Amino acid sequence: MAAVHGSGKILLRLTILVILIITLFPFYWVVRTALTPSKVIFTSPSAFWPPNPTFDNYLRVLGLVDAETSVRMGGSGQSLNFFLFLRNSLIVSTIITIFQVFFSALAAYAFARLKFPLRNQLFGIYVSALAVPGIVMLIPNFVLIQQLKLQNTFLGIVAPSLFMTPFAVFFLRQFFLGINKELEEAALIEGAGRIRIFFQIILPLSSGSITTLSIITFINSWNDYLWPLLVGKSEQVRVLTVALGIFRSQTPQGAPDWSGLMAGTSLAIIPIIILFVSFGKKIINSLGYMGFR
Amino acid sequence: MSQISAVVPEVEQSRRLKRSIYSSDNWIAYLLILPSLVGFALFYALPTIRGLFISFTDWNLLTPAKYVGLSNYKELFRDPDFWNAIKVTVSYVLWNIPLQTALALVFALVMNAVAGSNLLRGLMLLPWLMPNVVVGLLWLWLVDPNVGILNVAIKAISGSSIPFLSSPKYAIPTIAWINIWRHMGYTALLVFAGLQTIPKEVYEAASIDGASSRQTFFRVTLPLLRPVLTFVIVTSVIGSFQVFDTVAITTKGGPINATKVFNYFIYQQAFERFRMGYATAISIILFVILVGVSILQMRLMRAGEVD
Amino acid sequence: MRKSMKVMMALCAVMLAVGVASVSAQQVVIRYSMWDSNQLPAYQKVAENFMAKNPNIKIEITQVGWGDYWNDLQTSMVGGTAPDVFTNHLAKYPEFASKGQMIDIEPMVKADKIDVKQYLSGLADLWTRDGKRYGLPKDWDTIAIVYNKQILKDAGIDEKELENLTWNPKDGGSFEKLLAKLSLDKNGNNGLSPKFDKKNVVRWGTAIDYPNIGAYGQTQFSHFAVSNGWKFNDGMYATKYYYDDPKLVETIQWMADLSRKKGFMTPYEEVGSFGSANALFTSGKIALILDGSWMIDFYSKNTNFPIGFARLPIGPKGRKSMFNGLADSIWTGTKHPKEAWQWVKYLASKDAQDVVGSYGVVFPAIESGVQAALKAFKARNLDVSAYTAQALEKDGTFLFPITDNASQITSIMQQAFDTIFLGQATAADALKKANELVNATFKK
Repeated sequence: MAAVHGSGKILLRLTILVILIITLFPFYWVVRTALTPSKVIFTSPSAFWPPNPTFDNYLRVLGLVDAETSVRMGGSGQSLNFFLFLRNSLIVSTIITIFQVFFSALAAYAFARLKFPLRNQLFGIYVSALAVPGIVMLIPNFVLIQQLKLQNTFLGIVAPSLFMTPFAVFFLRQFFLGINKELEEAALIEGAGRIRIFFQIILPLSSGSITTLSIITFINSWNDYLWPLLVGKSEQVRVLTVALGIFRSQTPQGAPDWSGLMAGTSLAIIPIIILFVSFGKKIINSLGYMGFR
Repeated sequence: MSQISAVVPEVEQSRRLKRSIYSSDNWIAYLLILPSLVGFALFYALPTIRGLFISFTDWNLLTPAKYVGLSNYKELFRDPDFWNAIKVTVSYVLWNIPLQTALALVFALVMNAVAGSNLLRGLMLLPWLMPNVVVGLLWLWLVDPNVGILNVAIKAISGSSIPFLSSPKYAIPTIAWINIWRHMGYTALLVFAGLQTIPKEVYEAASIDGASSRQTFFRVTLPLLRPVLTFVIVTSVIGSFQVFDTVAITTKGGPINATKVFNYFIYQQAFERFRMGYATAISIILFVILVGVSILQMRLMRAGEVD
Repeated sequence: MRKSMKVMMALCAVMLAVGVASVSAQQVVIRYSMWDSNQLPAYQKVAENFMAKNPNIKIEITQVGWGDYWNDLQTSMVGGTAPDVFTNHLAKYPEFASKGQMIDIEPMVKADKIDVKQYLSGLADLWTRDGKRYGLPKDWDTIAIVYNKQILKDAGIDEKELENLTWNPKDGGSFEKLLAKLSLDKNGNNGLSPKFDKKNVVRWGTAIDYPNIGAYGQTQFSHFAVSNGWKFNDGMYATKYYYDDPKLVETIQWMADLSRKKGFMTPYEEVGSFGSANALFTSGKIALILDGSWMIDFYSKNTNFPIGFARLPIGPKGRKSMFNGLADSIWTGTKHPKEAWQWVKYLASKDAQDVVGSYGVVFPAIESGVQAALKAFKARNLDVSAYTAQALEKDGTFLFPITDNASQITSIMQQAFDTIFLGQATAADALKKANELVNATFKK
């Protein structure tokens, strides 16, 4: 790019400011609304700072006040059992991440290093599954889970993602292919078995890409909506995204409980912010690989 | 072992090595791939095949399935809702992808010129980290015709509000915008990463040749970005065709079918009407359409490949 | 000594555990679902009373909003986790019957000698088909006019004028004149004035809930159409509808013109962007609304102006209101059919319905329950006689149409009404096409 000076630079900075405002303002507005008392929403819809800020909406939404008080505060009596759904999301995402990454890594290693009949064909079939739209497999998977009587169980929710995704196998195989063979060769000469090599050499060497894949997998399963909606509606296993959807559909149609909705939404954003603050740099760096979603 | 290897001549050793690295210990290999194979068979291969079979039946999950041959497909092509879904989804993709890609490109260039910090890049990524459900709710509030801040501002200027999500005319463009908002930062960072791969020398050479910034952009930057842009556009289009969450949380296919995109149409047929056969038939057609679109895109993108 | 003590304690623990398990195993849990959150407190009380009489049965009530209720129910049936007893609706139950999802309670009704005549006329029979019975009536509803007393006063209208409104599809009768007088444009002209600017209306006479007209228009068009001499079909489980009948066509066209040509009824797009028709009423943007008696509680609690209830307008064939009723059905997959029947029997009894009535949220199907409801409404200064008078008037009601293929027919008709009320098609064209599609569903 040609060097930019003077007015060009101001224009650039201005553009960045505009980008930041467009990106961040909605988040601010959600929190501002969540802190505004329900009845005030309609009278001061545009006040920049929350008018009469209060935590009432959070109390309502977390179910910390009884139904009557909730209605008096201007809400509809709905509540979001936030911590339960947070726990469920954590359970689901963690289980999926651990198992999917692990099993995919095992397979990726086999594809990368071992020669066995039909190896390339099998890998090709795995990758070709990427071309199939999710919904084609979703309906029969739903039927399968119903027939196995696994609906409304954690197992039912995690099952399709527990073992592998074509992307995960592809991604890790790429990485394993690039690992220097000498270490493995040396170990083989020492008499080490493949399995031991995998655990003691390959895994430590690939901690970077394993972490990357884990982050990707975790975020994708955290954000998943349709599948957990279909097989995990009961409160015991309901995840955060589904809970928000149900919360939204229960809001009175004529006058939605905006402050309650925004309180719930802002709560759901918090875990992601935490994840982001802890792993931000890694997430940014792993961007190039996330494209498949 | 090491003593033996010291004695054995090198040829023998390398042959043994070759045998070892690419060993045909088949059973270990199959053991390693077994979990993934189970998963793939059960949740990828089986459902795809089963879906095809179900599409030839009439089945509501409560009474036994009835074989009906191609009648679901025949019904599909006569169903105005199906054609509406095509129209709505294509319209959505057209509103979504070009603008998103253009914005991403602009942002990437801007960031490139100003040497953005990690914090900046992180903040731009924030919308993309959020579930679609959260993003949808956020914008549902912002565009509310009565008290949403956008319309408060619009009303102050023009006197009447714009029913973004409740009018058939504005609904799809609004949903497209919501997804643009969610993806533009992330897409920009992808393009930005692509920009980094362009060596500075190329720009220097261009400026030595007296190229203006505009010429540099169109003749140098853009062609060199082609692989990244192709990747971004192709994957975005495929994802765009399958939009669901945003529609489900905001408009539920309305107002009056204006946002009944493919996936939502399928969802309604399968999980509100419990017409499993019909729904799977539609999903198979979507599959075919997507394959066609991808092939078309790859052709178009490659046609100009001049590297 | 110590060892035997340990054994004793272990034994005690085991016995305790077994004892506890067996006690709780004896208590049967019956899961019951309903959709109206307004009625939740009433039914919780009923459950309390029931459990006091039946300590071995525990009632668990789940409330799921109307929008999700039927999907959730069907999904849970598919998954084998449906509630033991569920609130059922006349339009929905035939489909569940054809899928074999409800228990026939006729044998139990006969065995326990339940008198089905105690329910308001005709309600009990609606739940039977081919000698099988799928529910016992628990409440009924009719339609009436809900009006904003303040707006009427401001417009200089005496409430007595609402007692004998007339209507016809040609010029709308005195009802249309009333709506015109109640509509205001931004310059303060009402609909009767030649200067009325129908493009800048700030308050309409009325609005209807367009997105939920469905096939029956319970609160939207059914009263007008039937009072015009129209009928949906030839009776229960008929296989032919008459949506293309001119008497319906002219009614619907009158309504469409009211909103799109004259400006006295809120147009479709505005209702959508506002949220809902009843929200328009509660925020004073419309003066009156025709709605069902199940909404009385909602309107009384969500308005900050005094409201009144008036009879429907008198059409060419008199006043006609749709008469609907709910019942509770038992799911075929229940593991406790005996206990489920006890609960259903109780819900359909005078005791339960008197309690429900006393909460003033619905009109129970048994006469004494109705009296209790009227009393409760009166205590809140609500004169709801418009609803009860309609129910008691001879030929004042017509039954909710019950046929097969309700979901498909609803979908077809909703699309037709959408195009009509959006001004995309005339009632004549759209209804003719729709009726053909509707009748075709019976030919499969």
